[in-house]
Amino acid sequence: MTSFLVRRILGAIVILILISLITFYLFYALPRDPARAFCGKICRPETLTLIRHNLGMDEPLFVQYWHWLSGIFMGREFTQFGACPAPCLGYSFATQEPVFSAIVDRFPVTLSLTLGASVVILSFGILTGMLAAWKVGQPLDKIASSTSVIGASLQIYFVGPLVVFAVVDTLGLLPRPSYVPFTEDPLTWFVHLLIPWVVLSIIFTANYTRMTRSQMLEQLAEDYVRTARAKGMSGRSVFFRFAWRGAMIPIITIFGVDLATLLGGAIITEQTFTLHGIGELAVRAVQNTDLPMLLGVTVVGAAAIVFLNIVVDVLYAFIDPRVRLS
Amino acid sequence: MRSHSRRIATATAVLAVGALALAGCAKGGGGGAPSAAASQTPLENKAVSAITVGTAADSTGPAPEVAGAKPGGTANMIDRDDFSHLDPGRVYLNYNSSVSLLFTRQLTNYKEDASGSIKLVGDLATDAGTTTDGGKTWKFTLKDGVKWQDGSAITSGDIKYSFERLFADFITEGPDYAETWLVPDPNKPFRDQYKGPYDGKELDTIETPDDKTVIFHLNAPHPDFNFTVAMTGYGAVPKAKDTKQKYDKQPFSSGPYQIVSHTTDKSLELERNPNWDKNTDPIRHAYPDKFHMEFGLQSQQSTERFLADTGADKQAFTFHNAVAPERVQEVLGNAEAMKRSIQGLTPFTTFYNINTKRVTDVNVRKAIITAWPAKQLQQIAGGEINSGKIATTVLSPTVLGYEASDLYGKLAKPEGDPEAAKKLLASSSTPTPTIVYAYNQTPTQEKITVAIKDALTKAGFNVVAKPLNPATYYDAIGPVDNQYDIYWGGWAADWPTGSTAIQPQFDGRLIADNAPNYTHLNVPEINTAIDQANTIADPTEAGKAWAAIDRKIMEQAAIVPEYYQTYFGLYGSGLGGVRFDPIQGEQSALDIWVK
Amino acid sequence: MTTVSWSSEPGTSRGPEPFLSVRDLSVRFSTEDGVVHAVDGLSFDVEKGTTLGIVGESGSGKSVTNLTILGLHDPAHTEVDGEIWLEDQELVGAGASTLEKLRGNRVAMIFQDPLTSLSPFHTIGRQIGEVYRKHKGASKKEARDRAIEMLERVGIPQPATRVDHYPHEFSGGMRQRAMIAMALVCDPDLLIADEPTTALDVTVQAQILDLLKDLQQQFGTTIILITHDLGVVANTADNVLVMYAGRAAERGTVREVLSKPSHPYTWGLLSSMPRLTSSVDVPLVPVRGTPPSLLNRPAGCAFHPRCDFPQLVGSDLCFTQRPDISPENGHGDACYLTLQQKRDIRTGDTKEQA
Repeated sequence: MTSFLVRRILGAIVILILISLITFYLFYALPRDPARAFCGKICRPETLTLIRHNLGMDEPLFVQYWHWLSGIFMGREFTQFGACPAPCLGYSFATQEPVFSAIVDRFPVTLSLTLGASVVILSFGILTGMLAAWKVGQPLDKIASSTSVIGASLQIYFVGPLVVFAVVDTLGLLPRPSYVPFTEDPLTWFVHLLIPWVVLSIIFTANYTRMTRSQMLEQLAEDYVRTARAKGMSGRSVFFRFAWRGAMIPIITIFGVDLATLLGGAIITEQTFTLHGIGELAVRAVQNTDLPMLLGVTVVGAAAIVFLNIVVDVLYAFIDPRVRLS
Repeated sequence: MRSHSRRIATATAVLAVGALALAGCAKGGGGGAPSAAASQTPLENKAVSAITVGTAADSTGPAPEVAGAKPGGTANMIDRDDFSHLDPGRVYLNYNSSVSLLFTRQLTNYKEDASGSIKLVGDLATDAGTTTDGGKTWKFTLKDGVKWQDGSAITSGDIKYSFERLFADFITEGPDYAETWLVPDPNKPFRDQYKGPYDGKELDTIETPDDKTVIFHLNAPHPDFNFTVAMTGYGAVPKAKDTKQKYDKQPFSSGPYQIVSHTTDKSLELERNPNWDKNTDPIRHAYPDKFHMEFGLQSQQSTERFLADTGADKQAFTFHNAVAPERVQEVLGNAEAMKRSIQGLTPFTTFYNINTKRVTDVNVRKAIITAWPAKQLQQIAGGEINSGKIATTVLSPTVLGYEASDLYGKLAKPEGDPEAAKKLLASSSTPTPTIVYAYNQTPTQEKITVAIKDALTKAGFNVVAKPLNPATYYDAIGPVDNQYDIYWGGWAADWPTGSTAIQPQFDGRLIADNAPNYTHLNVPEINTAIDQANTIADPTEAGKAWAAIDRKIMEQAAIVPEYYQTYFGLYGSGLGGVRFDPIQGEQSALDIWVK
Repeated sequence: MTTVSWSSEPGTSRGPEPFLSVRDLSVRFSTEDGVVHAVDGLSFDVEKGTTLGIVGESGSGKSVTNLTILGLHDPAHTEVDGEIWLEDQELVGAGASTLEKLRGNRVAMIFQDPLTSLSPFHTIGRQIGEVYRKHKGASKKEARDRAIEMLERVGIPQPATRVDHYPHEFSGGMRQRAMIAMALVCDPDLLIADEPTTALDVTVQAQILDLLKDLQQQFGTTIILITHDLGVVANTADNVLVMYAGRAAERGTVREVLSKPSHPYTWGLLSSMPRLTSSVDVPLVPVRGTPPSLLNRPAGCAFHPRCDFPQLVGSDLCFTQRPDISPENGHGDACYLTLQQKRDIRTGDTKEQA
């Protein structure tokens, strides 16, 4: 298991460096000149040159990339912004705040949103899928399957405001979604994120219900399940102990992919519920062509996805012993 | 089987969308683009009635009490953006200036009285400065009892330091008038001549014979230097507390409030500064105990909240957000909301630059202005209240010296006069000229372009419209040899005299890439007139001279004036003393009290 | 339809009571295309301590028969008629919990492909142990010890280590042995082996078959061996049942059926087998035609479309009326040809084969 982890982590680092390199070149090759933003209303040419020099933009692109990369490990000194301790992802061109602290500050919001939604999606989806498979062909199965299609057809920016309007404004059952730090008050944190979690899960759960159902049915037709029954294991035991494990493998794989979608969807979710997470940072960075922030958010987002995929792989190895030894 | 249930799902979704749309309509009133202003009552946008220089008496605190005001409570400010800079030296935007008034003081500042007249008075200084040599040397004396938030005295050394640090290489965003005037050679880059105080060197041209006196030795006469130092950019910074780059997030206060915390893009908290003495301050009040400021609200959201006027929003105002264009009609018709509305003329004017390097025949340029469909464009932009009053001069009414004049009869025929334009073209070198019109590619601008094209074509022009990417608009029109003939621009004077309203844009010697002289106008007569006007000591006389230059520029038809920009905003019912600041063009926090 | 039911025939006691008795078993699947008659009026007996080989091609119904014995068919889409008696316990009508108690306990089954038939997620020891724990109420330790014991019994080296390995860590032959160990852990009276050696290579095949024979000798287990390979039957079984299209075609002792086959299908099977003794250039003679569709079976004898001899019968019985197995006891077949005709054809064939 250790060598497996080590290999994956090294691979992840290589991927991240590649991603950062490509992103860097893509963004910094754009025609827009960020130096203008640091110049006054009447911008003299010599001031513009000074600013470009301060920002390090008069250096070749590769040297700029190298500064950025080394800044992550060793910290950096910026004329325009001051000292930037490691890990330094630069300063936002728009707000002049350190990119790293901005991301770290907003990270718990996106994390709470995504993880919380994942828990709801997986538990609901898998439970209803197993229920549908347990009662295959019967009314319960049909209900579960059709609601899942409706769910998959919905969009966050449509369902979100609708739910808020109904539950918060009209019925007053729950408070308006916002982020309260978990460390401050776990209960409030939970209650205030409930609506975004449920909305996200309405849309994603459908997929997992259907997948779990079909995977369970497939597994139940597998030979080794037949053997289990031939050994006299009870129906319930066969269902929950045997078929379940095989069904989970493709589901966890799909979830690894979906996690990227969830994180990306976090942008829309954060906009819909006015949550100040990394998604909002990303949107604003794009609107302002805020290159350091864009770069920082992209790399951090990529790192999160890579890390989560490693977790998925480890989980994989736990469930399926055949993976462990390869 | 599968497609069947999917069809049901889609049908359900469509129904639900319809329901939501209906709900939105019922709740909010008109949606969609700003409607034509047929039934709109023009608001009274008063120009300032006079701008004068005040006396020492005018400069003495306290500021006159606001009727009915009482101390206490927390005032809330909601707005779209966080303040990008709070370090005075890096402030240029009016948005940052508005909030800086709460904790940053300058040598001089503006005092507005009930009649709408504005006086330049001493803020930290005892008066608006004195000069005996026509503006080459300026002397300011600091008041007694002006202190920093930690109780230490504000000294002349602090003032000198505040100017010196502007030469540092990370302070690039603010104005640089004073810097250019305080070095030996105004024509060479000022940073080459002095590097700032961080290596221990001082700026000799600022003299501080004692703790209370500051003497500025400028390299040329500048009679309105006392207006210059009223800019937030020349606000006071304490030498002992200068945290350099970090100062931008949390400056040290000399004003009625001090900063408690600042979370970028989220909130700013201010509380009373116990060491601010109101007797030293002729313009500010400090009624609320606290200010709580929140960011991230689009104008639709803030308009919504002001209209709802519930909870903490009752004690809310906004610096910058205006009433959202699509809700303007609704607000105008809501008598209760109108009681809590603010309107006024901002310092901003907008216009269309005519590239005089390419369109060299003045009659062609005059024909453009004559044919221009000003009224139609105003309608497309949502009427006067959303865009502004139709302008006919270079100077805004908010500038000292403004004189109303309408050389091309636009007020009589705001829809444009194609016949008269044709006549002008007939007497020009090219009866059917081709004109390249570059514009910001947005939905509204597309409509405006169509209208412009129509009107100019009727007059005989051949119009080529060139859309530009909004993100790189200024990069595109910045080069002196850009390939466009007409392109939009906007401007506000940095202080309300003609100097900064006219010189940066129309002085032919200042033509450079990315410089504000987008018309590339270079008329020797105008350049000389500018030099002369800059030396006139009496502001009113100077104003007359600038008005004459304004008329000359209009005779040159260098720009097509568009609007004197207006502001229309709301605030909560639980606040009193909310007024319009004509210098910044935004709501003012200085008189606010919590009911 | 006449059935073979030795014990109910008055006066004829052919040795001891059959251990397993299948009587007139019919199994029908409802599918989208119609009703599939997988097993159609099948009857046979198995005596205690013997090995019955069930032979037939794919679709003959041999696997379905055995799954039905254990009640492992899909109850939603399957209809079962007839009776299956395990000593004094009737199985077709038995409830789920009764069947659960029997499975793995009195009746055990081993399957064709041990790789897919064993759970990849659990160790061999766990899989063997849990049967023991379920039926005998043993503790974890006892179950593990028993698993090691079983692994040893089936000839797996280092059983104490291998008990904690996963199925994919075993070779094909070892896996099948492990499966056998799992089937035998509760000392079942009846072992049903569904093509246990088909997925293995020949040498391993021989080992497994020997193992089964040894276990039968040691523990007196009754074995039903399902295969399509007559060679396996010849080697291991005592009695043979040849199935075709869900029905019995011929049955008897191995000796009887293989040396004096009396059904045209059996002739086809035997002549299509390669023999070590025949010369290489004698062509194999497959049974002509294709297996029948179990949806629309031909009327009369199921085999007649592929049979060379219906015209010898004289009438059109082959095409209209299904033949019963006759004689009812001993070596019987379901064919209208007379004994004489059969002998003639057989000797004629034998001559060709020589």
